[in-house]
Formats: sequence, structure tokens, C-alpha cells
Amino acid sequence: MILLRRQLPLLITMVTGLVMAAQYYVPHPASEQLLTSVTKWLQIIGGFALILGITSLFHVHASKIRRKEAGWGYSLVLYTGMLGTIVVGIWNNGKESIDGALTSFGWIYSYTLVPLQGTMFAILAFFIASAAYRSFRARSREAAVLLVAAVIVMMGRVPLGEYILPLSGDLSSWILNVLNASVRRAILIGVSLGAVALSFKIIFGVERSYLGGGKE
Amino acid sequence: MGFAERMLRIDRRIIFLVIGLCTLLPLLFPVGLPIKISSEVRGVYDYIDKLPEGSVFLLSLDFDPASKPELYPQAVAILRHAFRKNLRVMAMTLWVSGTGLADQIISQTAKEAGKESGKDYVFLGWSPGGSAVILNMGQDLYTTFPADYDGKATKGLPVLAGVQNLRDVAYAVTLAAGNPGVEAWYVFGKDKYKFELGGGCTGVMAPGLYPLLRSGQINGLIGGLRGAAEYETLVGQKGNAVAGMDAQSATHLAIIVLVAICNVFYFAMLRQQRRHERIGS
Repeated sequence: MILLRRQLPLLITMVTGLVMAAQYYVPHPASEQLLTSVTKWLQIIGGFALILGITSLFHVHASKIRRKEAGWGYSLVLYTGMLGTIVVGIWNNGKESIDGALTSFGWIYSYTLVPLQGTMFAILAFFIASAAYRSFRARSREAAVLLVAAVIVMMGRVPLGEYILPLSGDLSSWILNVLNASVRRAILIGVSLGAVALSFKIIFGVERSYLGGGKE
Repeated sequence: MGFAERMLRIDRRIIFLVIGLCTLLPLLFPVGLPIKISSEVRGVYDYIDKLPEGSVFLLSLDFDPASKPELYPQAVAILRHAFRKNLRVMAMTLWVSGTGLADQIISQTAKEAGKESGKDYVFLGWSPGGSAVILNMGQDLYTTFPADYDGKATKGLPVLAGVQNLRDVAYAVTLAAGNPGVEAWYVFGKDKYKFELGGGCTGVMAPGLYPLLRSGQINGLIGGLRGAAEYETLVGQKGNAVAGMDAQSATHLAIIVLVAICNVFYFAMLRQQRRHERIGS
């Protein structure tokens, strides 16, 4: 069983990892055909991953409702909402509108999901303002620099700020284009090198956590 | 507890009220301050403007309703521009929850411009796989999207005449609220299939995308509501973004004032504490 649970997945990972890495540098039609097939497979796996995710979500919340755990009422709302939307979605063939007219699925989307997500996003502005008031203090020299930069960028990104402080627009642009870009690039290079190292570790079987727990 | 300390622990509902009023009042009584155009937004505008009539323009609407206030006006402004230039528009989304919104944006803007689905534009809809969809489109568009959002076969659509894969796209713009988004379109799309790419994103994401902009990996960036307002100004059709800039101006200013007040009270409290310590010792 170790062959099926450990060695075979490791072998598949190594072969596909090496082949796909090599594929990028080979412009031969056969190599391109391989990429077409593999990406199609990836899409199919993506579809299955979606089913797996939804099933898992159903399972987690069903057991919460069954055991009447704290906040099970929210799970019930989620459960009925998801089931209802899926049923209506299938009924309408996944279409939100037909010839410009909203379907019942489109109605759920436009009058439930859109306002709910919009509200969640809008609430952020209030919490950001409150958090800024409570914690954005010049406690140290570094914090003071951050504070000044933030104020300049906030001024420079809105017409009123540019009207009050005409230089803020150019200064904010300089902060974003020079200071921010160089720091972000350094972070990106670090993250990318880390990703490359992790990929090598996965391809050569050093990193095996993706196989899940359990005994050897 | 001293006055400064009390002010620092002010009820958050007062701050909420200030922000609420700063958002609401400018929307009710707009001022309409002039909007300066940045080079980032101009990069996208100029590229679309210089495309010859009939060029294939791909717009990927990679966002969901949560980012609607910022990315919806961007999408509308870009589509208005593309339709005015008589480009062949190919729209799609990598975010399943954004499909309905994308459909609304495209059909409404196309209707306004008098464009016909299948002939002047096509909405491909959503396909599972995230970044794999980009790779797959780069190989063969028709295996990735055999049918458009309305269920019509993509092969044979007049709008897609001569288009086989992403290499046949003259310009692509992704309006993204996260991942997959601008970075995925660069890594799996532009880098491999060599087409010009522009980006649009939410305000908070914009600073993170400046390295891509500076290195030329994307030729322009529309950042947040401000970027949308700039594009609306360039297109000459002021909409939701320009209207929202007054509110954003007021809230930014309110936050700056709040932060300044907080620091004044913070230093007042510190001085108070030091005085007490001196008296105590």
C-alpha cells in the first residue's frame, strides 16, 4: 500500500513537474500539444475541486446543524441559501439573464449576492477609519515616516488632496513608483525564489506535506 | 482618565458617523473637482486608442460583486472606449461569482453603443481552472470556450474570425480584484503568448502592481475608483467613478484629520504621563 499512498504520487509529481518545466523551453508542436492536453486536464481537475469544496462545505455545516453546535443557525442559513441557489441555478441552466430579462437565478444574484458582498466591502471603510484613529500613531521614527508617507499618498490620490496640497500628486506618484515599487520588487524576488525552492523540494520528494498525514 | 486618553478611546460609532457623513454629503451635493490624469491610466487609454478598427480586444473581468464600486466603472469606461473605436471585444471572467456582473456590464454597455453579440462582441463567460484557463486559451480558444455565455458555438462567430488563440489578441486588459488576476494574466498569458497587457485593480491592490508596471510587464494600470474616474474623464463620459471621487476625497481627508487628531492626543497624553512621573519621583 505504501507504493500507492506514497511512492506512486511522488513519482507522478516528479515526472509531471520535470516534464512541465522542460515543456516551457521546447517550442516543438508535440510539446505544445502536451501543454494543451495538460491544461485541459487542469481545467477538469479544477471542476472536480469545486465539487469537492462544495461537498466539504455541506458536510461541515450539516454536522454543525445535526449537533446543534454554537451558531448552528448561521449554518442553517448558509445551508438553505446554498441549496436554494444551486436548485434555482440548475433550474435556470446557470443563466442570470435571458435576452436581457433576469431569471430567478439572476434575481438571487443581483438582489442578494451583489448587495451582500457590496456591504461587506463598504463596511471596510468604516473599520479602516476606526483602526487608523486608534493605532496610526507616530510611536517611533519609522512609524512617523510611514505616517507621513501614508498622508501624502492619501492626499495625492484624491482631487481634493491635490487641490489643497498641489505637490501631493507628484510626491504620491514618486512614492508609489520609486519607493514602493523597489520594495515590492525585493519582496517579489524573495517570494519567487522561495516558490522555486519549494517547487524543487516538491518535485524531488523532499517536501511531502501535500500527501497528507498518516503513517508511512 | 485624562481628556486626551478619553479622546483616544472615543466611541467608534462617532468615527463611523463622521465617515458616513463624509461619504453621503458629497454624493448629495457634488463639487466636481478636476481630475488629473496619471501616466498609468493614460498607458491603457492610449494603447486602446491607437488600435486599428477591428482589432481583437480581450477584457477579462476578474472580480466579484465585492469590488463592484471600483471595478464596475473601470469596466464600463473601457468598454465604452473599445466600442467607440469599433474593436472586436472578447470578454470573459476567471471568477465564477463575477459572471452575472460581467454579463450585465457587457450587455448594457453594448446595448448603449448599439453593438451586436456575436458580431461586434462576445461574452465567453466563466470556465473552471483559474490560471489553467489562460494557458488553455493560449493554446486553443475553442477548446476552452466551445460555447459563449448564451450557449452559441464560438467557432464561426464573426467577432472571432481569424482568432485561434491568445496570440491573435491585439490587446488584453484584466480588471482584477485578486487572484487569478493581473499577475496570472502576465505569467500564464502575456509572457508565453506575447500580447500586450494592461491592468486594472482595486485601490488597495494597486501599490502591489507597480513593479509590473515599472518593468513594462503591463503597459498601464487603472487603480481603484481614482483610476476609473481618470478613464471616464479621458473617454469624456463621466459616470459613477467621477461622481464618487468627491466622496472619496472627503473620506480621505476625514481619515487624515482623524489620524492627526489621534496623534495630537497621543502626544498630549505622553506629556501628561511624563509630568505625572516627574511629580511622583
